[in-house]
Amino acid sequence: MTGARQIVAGLESAGVTLVASVPDTWIGKLVEEVRRSSAIRVVDVAREEEAVAVACGANLAGGRGAVLIQNAGLLNCGGILAGLVELYRLPCFFLVSFRGDSRDPIYYHEPKGRVTEATLQAWRLRYAIADRGRDLVAQVRQGVEAAAESASPYVLLISGEDLA
Amino acid sequence: MSARKPLLDALVSMLTPRDVLVSCLGANARYLPHMKVPSPVFALCDSMGAAIPLALGMALQRPDRHVIALEGDGSLLMSPNVLATVAAARPANLGILLWVNGRYESSGGQALPPAPVDWAGLARAAGIRHVESARDVAGLRATFPNARSAGEPAVLVVEVAFDPAEAIPPYSERPEEIRARFRID
Repeated sequence: MTGARQIVAGLESAGVTLVASVPDTWIGKLVEEVRRSSAIRVVDVAREEEAVAVACGANLAGGRGAVLIQNAGLLNCGGILAGLVELYRLPCFFLVSFRGDSRDPIYYHEPKGRVTEATLQAWRLRYAIADRGRDLVAQVRQGVEAAAESASPYVLLISGEDLA
Repeated sequence: MSARKPLLDALVSMLTPRDVLVSCLGANARYLPHMKVPSPVFALCDSMGAAIPLALGMALQRPDRHVIALEGDGSLLMSPNVLATVAAARPANLGILLWVNGRYESSGGQALPPAPVDWAGLARAAGIRHVESARDVAGLRATFPNARSAGEPAVLVVEVAFDPAEAIPPYSERPEEIRARFRID
């Protein structure tokens, strides 16, 4: 099973009903796998803050939403994380492509890679870096559950090689 | 052009328990807790631009309910991209009431950048087909039922007078109270 399929299986097993996404190369591949799921609706949005609100709306309406974006998009989301997700104590699970880390072959992502974890820590968000050597299905499911149980954001950072 | 409160009164009088209301920050969110609203209300007190995508997520999750987003022109000017997102998702059960007064009312009534934005034209250009405008209570009463029965995303552009002396009540509910009370049966 590919890593992308395992990630989608994790979303399915956690009861995710809706994924809101802005693609990059890696997230785009993952979203194509999500579109093959009969349990999850994909909502293509124009900007990452929208994805957060759409996922939260699904959660408030009794479903489970998730956000699939690049780390550049996550960096856009400081305002809505503070003013919606944290303020109203809403669960919000993020799958974020970790561009610019040591595994990323594209040089121009490097500045984003440098600040991603520092920003997550400054924003006091719980996060993990996906470990391809362990059960990806479980890592995704646990992330969704962690967001739901704590009524707060949870970010799982993934790399392109996690999707293979 | 009508004052805000009569417009809001007219809207609330047309709501049913099958509707769901999502309000952006500002005057509407501050008035609503003091009104007898028959539908669930999720009112924002921050996060400009979140009302429409929040309502979109609800509408997609609950196609059996009609979800209405109250958005301000200042908030939409900050994130007009959401109109294209709504047009692409095409929920049959989402209505957007855009309150246009040309002001950032919540922060003291500062003027928006003075561009002659054609709000109805902007919505149509983004791909939303059902777009109407209302300038007063009669106009809102005439157009709102059309938006609710459109069977596709609808935008109502509501022109509202800005009154710097309007006695808008302060926020009276904490976000955690709004979250705890909000429920779509």
